[in-house]
Amino acid sequence: MAVDTRERPPKASSKDAATAEQESRFQRYRIRTGMFAWMMHRLTGVGLVVYLIIHIWGLTALTDPETFNALIAKYHSPIFKVGEFALLVAVAYHAMNGLRIVLIDLLGWSPKQKRLFATLGAVTLLIILVGGWPSIYALGEWLFGPGSMPSLFL
Amino acid sequence: MDLNVEIKRYNPDEDEEPHWESYEVPADPLDSALSLLLHVKWHEDGTLSFRKSCAHGICGSDAMQINGENKLACSVLVQELVDGDGDTITFAPLPSAPVVKDLVIDQSRFFEKYRDVKPWLITDGPAPEREREQSPEEHEVIEDATKCIMCGACTHACPSTWADPDYLGPAAMLKAYRYTFDSRDDGAEERLDVVDSPDGLWKCYTIFNCNEACPKDIDITRWLSALKRKAATSQASTKA
Repeated sequence: MAVDTRERPPKASSKDAATAEQESRFQRYRIRTGMFAWMMHRLTGVGLVVYLIIHIWGLTALTDPETFNALIAKYHSPIFKVGEFALLVAVAYHAMNGLRIVLIDLLGWSPKQKRLFATLGAVTLLIILVGGWPSIYALGEWLFGPGSMPSLFL
Repeated sequence: MDLNVEIKRYNPDEDEEPHWESYEVPADPLDSALSLLLHVKWHEDGTLSFRKSCAHGICGSDAMQINGENKLACSVLVQELVDGDGDTITFAPLPSAPVVKDLVIDQSRFFEKYRDVKPWLITDGPAPEREREQSPEEHEVIEDATKCIMCGACTHACPSTWADPDYLGPAAMLKAYRYTFDSRDDGAEERLDVVDSPDGLWKCYTIFNCNEACPKDIDITRWLSALKRKAATSQASTKA
């Protein structure tokens, strides 16, 4: 509706060699808790999109039982156990930090945001350790031989 | 103690690119960072340019990037920046703004964004006989936001500004909050039209760099979140 029609100074007008460097979207800046949390959120977000594409593509094997069994067999190799664990880390972090942002934006929890980040970080670690135990277990068995890992919940 | 002061210099008449220059500066732990710059200008190199006026954190002229973070040079002490003798303090212009010379940035885009959010009282009815009254409780809502001195430290600390120079930025949207939540103001709808946009509120990713940079310790992200809630729940946002 009430759109401002005044023109902003055009981007190019003040842009010579020096200002071009200054106006870069990448800046050297001290990374504090909030910016670290956001960078990790972006990183895990992009990672999860890449994973989803691969995952959906893998499901095309569903059309043929033979191919599907072969694919599932591959998923038991150690490299996929590492991948599984990384996936859990990314999902747990992205979900918990997403919750933190929702709490900030919805309830205005800003003053405690650093403590909030630490608390949710602890919850995330717990989820990763408990949920990731089967992957860690399988990797340990593969690295150090069968029966070398303590069978906690398995 | 003696400090190594590194300043990002740029003279558009002579230099193709900005470059760093080092100066040895004697300093007291209780000196302000601004006094280091003044020492360089008065005793080492008179061609050094930077903005300063009151030197007491009121005018908001000397916001710059000090040791990798946006700060007000007059409001930060040497002892907060270094551990001891021989340490280095770096000074650079505010990130992502066009540089006029040395530490002086072109603020025109920053103030364009400020004017975009209509930072003045908007009222429906006729002017009252006497002053427009506001209770202490009503003022409490905007009190923190009224402390802004428009130094630009927050807006130029924001990665959303770095990525999109047209992003309104925390300083301008804090002003939008300050007037929208003012009990005497009726212009909420007009202002929400401006901030409820792709270049406005929704590019705030709660990174908190603005809070960290603010020399007045304003809880900027918190007030922008309040504005987001207002934009999301108001009639104006259902224009589609």
